[in-house]
Amino acid sequence: MLDEWSTSILHHDPMQLYRSKRDQNHRSVSSKYNILGFISSGTYGRVYKAQSLEDDGTIHAIKKFKPDKEGDVITYTGISQSAIREIALNREINHENIVALKEVILEDKSIYMVFEYAEHDFLQVIHHHSQTLRAPISQGVLKSMVYQLINGLIYLHSCHILHRDLKPANILITARGVIKIGDLGLARLIYEPLQPLFAGDKVVVTIWYRAPELLMGAKHYTKAIDCWAVGCVMAELVSLRPIFKGEEAKLDSKKNVPFQRDQLLKIFEVIGTPEEKDWPGVVDMPEYQSMKRLDHFTNRLYEWFNSRLRNSNGYDLLRLLFLYDPEARLTAKDALHHKWFQEDPKPTWKYVPPYFLSPSR
Amino acid sequence: MPSLMEKLSKRWIVDRATLNQARFEDLQYVEDPELLDFLSIYFANVITKLGKKLQFRQRTIATAIVFLRRFYLKNSYCETDPFMVISACCYLAAKAEESPVHIKVIVAESRALFNQDTYSVKAFNTDNGKVAEMEFYLVDDLECDLVVFHPYRTLLSLCKKEPSGDPSSEEGEAEDVGAGIGLDDGPRYWGTGEGQLEFTPAAFQTAWSIINDTYRSQLCLLYPPHLIAIAAIYLTFILHPPTRPDNAQSSANENAADPFPEQPAPRRSSRQAHHTQSQSASPKKPQDPITFLSELNVSLSLVATIAQEIISLYTLWDQYKEDASPDATKAARELTNSPSPIKRSGSAHASTSGGATPGAEESLDSEGNYITTAYLSSVVQKLRESRLIDISPMGRPVAVNKRLERTQAVG
Repeated sequence: MLDEWSTSILHHDPMQLYRSKRDQNHRSVSSKYNILGFISSGTYGRVYKAQSLEDDGTIHAIKKFKPDKEGDVITYTGISQSAIREIALNREINHENIVALKEVILEDKSIYMVFEYAEHDFLQVIHHHSQTLRAPISQGVLKSMVYQLINGLIYLHSCHILHRDLKPANILITARGVIKIGDLGLARLIYEPLQPLFAGDKVVVTIWYRAPELLMGAKHYTKAIDCWAVGCVMAELVSLRPIFKGEEAKLDSKKNVPFQRDQLLKIFEVIGTPEEKDWPGVVDMPEYQSMKRLDHFTNRLYEWFNSRLRNSNGYDLLRLLFLYDPEARLTAKDALHHKWFQEDPKPTWKYVPPYFLSPSR
Repeated sequence: MPSLMEKLSKRWIVDRATLNQARFEDLQYVEDPELLDFLSIYFANVITKLGKKLQFRQRTIATAIVFLRRFYLKNSYCETDPFMVISACCYLAAKAEESPVHIKVIVAESRALFNQDTYSVKAFNTDNGKVAEMEFYLVDDLECDLVVFHPYRTLLSLCKKEPSGDPSSEEGEAEDVGAGIGLDDGPRYWGTGEGQLEFTPAAFQTAWSIINDTYRSQLCLLYPPHLIAIAAIYLTFILHPPTRPDNAQSSANENAADPFPEQPAPRRSSRQAHHTQSQSASPKKPQDPITFLSELNVSLSLVATIAQEIISLYTLWDQYKEDASPDATKAARELTNSPSPIKRSGSAHASTSGGATPGAEESLDSEGNYITTAYLSSVVQKLRESRLIDISPMGRPVAVNKRLERTQAVG
């Protein structure tokens, strides 16, 4: 004997009982956090600085994903793959050098991810040194930054996670000098994937930090792409500007991935054109023929490095991170044991003198 | 201190009492508690069907089923629309397994499937927005745990198929993706067990199928995936006794493992087993399954308990008739030794008094032996209707404030 109320629920809003129960127990973002200010924005949405109204007023960074709109009406259109990745992977990991996710609040068709707060990021540190201090980052601090970055990456790789978007803006640093890898929005689990990696995302890694095998159109790629990016970040910390600052060729109207001619040239100009003897797989790369048409360059990384930082072990580490053959490239684990970290000046570990850092974000 | 991974793997493992507590409300609206066990099979079957239409891989289907089970640890069938939950589980699982499907496709396929007579969902007229909204709540109820570990992984890391096996099957997925990825980095569940199990392709397939079948039950909420995998391996040993080069009883083995010679699949498998057997007449010492299992550093009595539960599942499943040919593997029949389904009295579930039970008449086949999909659809419908009648504000003598009443009723 269904009455009108029951029939209506059954036919028009079958989840009503569930939803009202759930909504009653919901604790809103504003009841838990006091928004202090705006930190940054991106295609995904915005990041705010917020203070917890509980646990001793801890500061957090809240990443709010843009709600989807159809016209002016905000609607549910499904959680983006990037948000799903970030939520899913952050739940599985826990490491001092990875930004920790405290909680996820789903409210008003928006996703709020509450992260631990870090005052700075690598990009700011680089700007601060190049614009304000007009001096290189001291070698001890540089080593500490690179060391902790590699340490976080080892953890990710041991969890079978590729970050796929390492760059200075995504690497945070706390006031106490602890490095935190952030933004797992492009990261993914590579343990027994159901589909090859390239099938999911046509383009990974910001162009300046993109490994040569990706630029050459490789169908398979590995953890080595993150290690290449670490090399790019290390070089940028040394010279205070991106080492391979190429122009990205954009996807055409059919979303075909174009040949990244300029980016490859920028790389070749410093470390030379790849030879088959160094990278046996290069001849099988889809873009090999396009590459052969480019001007030929010789490797002058030693000169590049030596003119900026006179240290042969530092050069050696960078050289190994920039090996063309992904199979031969230094792994994160081996990088951590590199002798550059053992020799003087030793890494300043967690202590980064405050005057090295820019004003907090 | 337990490692992080150990803690994570136990996060959604509950005891039987908790499982029963989760069904407390639903229990008030079914005649026979066993129907709830059938509903476990039913919901898994619906997901499998929808998943197949969406061309999901097996692991994505398994993840969707695990999402559903976890969701209903916290919620009642009767207060939700299980079909909406199923759509959302499939939508989310596809993303969690990195093989996303557009929501339009999920909704279209869900509609096409659920509007079939067997599911008797009167006009499953959901839209993208409703499924996406459900996804939100689902992620919340799942506490953001979207990476699901499955027994398949343990099976793959413990078993190496004999070299004669076809490398392009299941395992190929892991091998296909380049260096630095895959099993060589070590399994996450334990560090023991240097040796690997040698399975014939047929035996491997059996173990894989048994794991598929476990998702019809609530086992994934009761036991960690690696133990379920070992139980499946244990049952596989029973079905495919390891071959011994010096053993002359090969033909006997073949017969024992193959009670249905009319089916093509097992015939092929046992022939393969026979083939590899003669091929492997090498000095290599034959593998002893008992030794292998005992060296795994897991509780064998627990493994035996799980194996027993899997057999119980097959016994139950035998009484359930899908409209299409059942997915139940031959393993089911072999393990339960019941070539013909057990007769049921039929009285318990036929006497569904009151309420609309449109499928009741068709619930029994001509012999009156089986629980059918259509019947279970009517059970679900009745659960939901009965719940609504119970809490409907209009059914009350004094309705002062509908909204308030409603709030009280659901709160």
